[in-house]
Amino acid sequence: MIDIEDVSQVFRTSGRQDHLALSGISLAIEDGAFVSILGPSGCGKSTLLYIVGGFVSPTAGVAKVRGKAVTGPGPDRGPVFQEFALFPWKSVLGNVMYGPRQQGVKSAEAEAQSRALIEMVGLKGFEHFYPKELSGGMKQRVALARTLAYHPAVLLMDEPFGALDAHTRRRLQNDLLGIWERDRKTVLFVTHSVDEAVFLSDKVVVMTRSPGRIKTVIDIDLPRPRRRSDLLLDPRYQKYVVDIERMIDDTSEEVLRP
Amino acid sequence: MMVARMLVSRLAPLLACLGLLAIWQAGALTLSTESFPTALEALRAVPAILGDRESLVNILASLRRMSIAFSVALVVSIPLGLMMGRNRFVACFFNPLLMITYPVPKAALMPIIMLWLGVGDIAKMLVIFLGVSLPVIYHSFQGARAVEEKMLWSGAAMGLSAAQRMIRIVLPAALPEILTGCRTGLVLALITMVTSEMIARQSGAGNILFNSLDMGQYDIVYAMIIIIGALGIGLDAAFERLRRRLVRWSEPGFEIPLSFA
Repeated sequence: MIDIEDVSQVFRTSGRQDHLALSGISLAIEDGAFVSILGPSGCGKSTLLYIVGGFVSPTAGVAKVRGKAVTGPGPDRGPVFQEFALFPWKSVLGNVMYGPRQQGVKSAEAEAQSRALIEMVGLKGFEHFYPKELSGGMKQRVALARTLAYHPAVLLMDEPFGALDAHTRRRLQNDLLGIWERDRKTVLFVTHSVDEAVFLSDKVVVMTRSPGRIKTVIDIDLPRPRRRSDLLLDPRYQKYVVDIERMIDDTSEEVLRP
Repeated sequence: MMVARMLVSRLAPLLACLGLLAIWQAGALTLSTESFPTALEALRAVPAILGDRESLVNILASLRRMSIAFSVALVVSIPLGLMMGRNRFVACFFNPLLMITYPVPKAALMPIIMLWLGVGDIAKMLVIFLGVSLPVIYHSFQGARAVEEKMLWSGAAMGLSAAQRMIRIVLPAALPEILTGCRTGLVLALITMVTSEMIARQSGAGNILFNSLDMGQYDIVYAMIIIIGALGIGLDAAFERLRRRLVRWSEPGFEIPLSFA
């Protein structure tokens, strides 16, 4: 589904120095998998996601989706950002309908689909609210519905719950998992929260700090559907969390090189 | 108590105007010179001017020039400002040009413009155009620059082309800032309108004002100031009303009224 082949990314800093953000990343993600990319801040994990999204072009290497090299953004890959990035001049319904309308879906049909999606993300009754009138958690629900509305084959989630409080974050994780377990889209999920990654994913990619490299890829062998209350008591879950946390602490202690 | 407070805040602008007129009246009565008519005398001249066919034609000619120049300025400045905000090359090209013209009082250009274009409508509209353009370009530029990158990425993922993103994302996202520029532009349009007519005297509201000054008709002078001032307040209030309708989605929950709208 997604093949990342030997991708490197160099940024020119304001001090006109080259900074190696990603170095030789290769990763294959199969169809329908939920894969998290985990790493300390500044390890280039979001950059990797943007490269798959086509928002940033890699300095070297190539990202392929369904065998085709990524050259720019497209509706087969739907992003969900930590900053929500909703269109503030559109209502909730207007935001969700935007993608389908752009794809040429007829107005009535787009509206019906969008209303169903808004209900699915738990915002029935808020269709005519503007983004500024919503809480952070609600905004992110709208952003998720807006992206699901144009049926991307891959969801690219960039620390989507990073700006939310712990309670809202848990509820959204649960709801995302419920939605994903129903239609099994391929998800690439960037996070710095270990238990979020283990709870949600089939596979966790652990990255090292600057320059970002893949340290290990861990298969999370936990039964689905997953429930938080069961998992927290499950020793296998606990072991995954502890092992990965230790691994990340190790990489963080390495000397920081510019 | 609540009702009284509401009433006071509603009547405050009116009371302020009445207070100003009262001070004027008292001042004029004490000084009692010919060149300073009382408020009542000036107010009495207002209907006389508005009832006079020739004066009305003059004022309407001013408004016509102003609205044409204002509209053309918006049509040129908004796209230019937005492109400068999103494209480094466009910004690099136009920025020095704007930096040179920005601090120059537009009325000071009037003599040169008159040499080239005469004293007719074109010269006056060009000055108004210049006066309006700069704040509109500047605010459109700032608005476009502040558009969140991720919002544009979201649009790109939905399949919007670069041109579509400009019109359907950058333009609406920058609209509150653009309209702030337009509001400043509108007031500047009125100012440059009057100045252009006072330099190139031929027709218009400014022409009536300065002709009556030359002829010592001071009540007309003051009445014209009242008319032009009222015009400014009226236009600004109408525009503010329109602006609020257009960007209701971005307004904070409460606000202190800054206009008579």
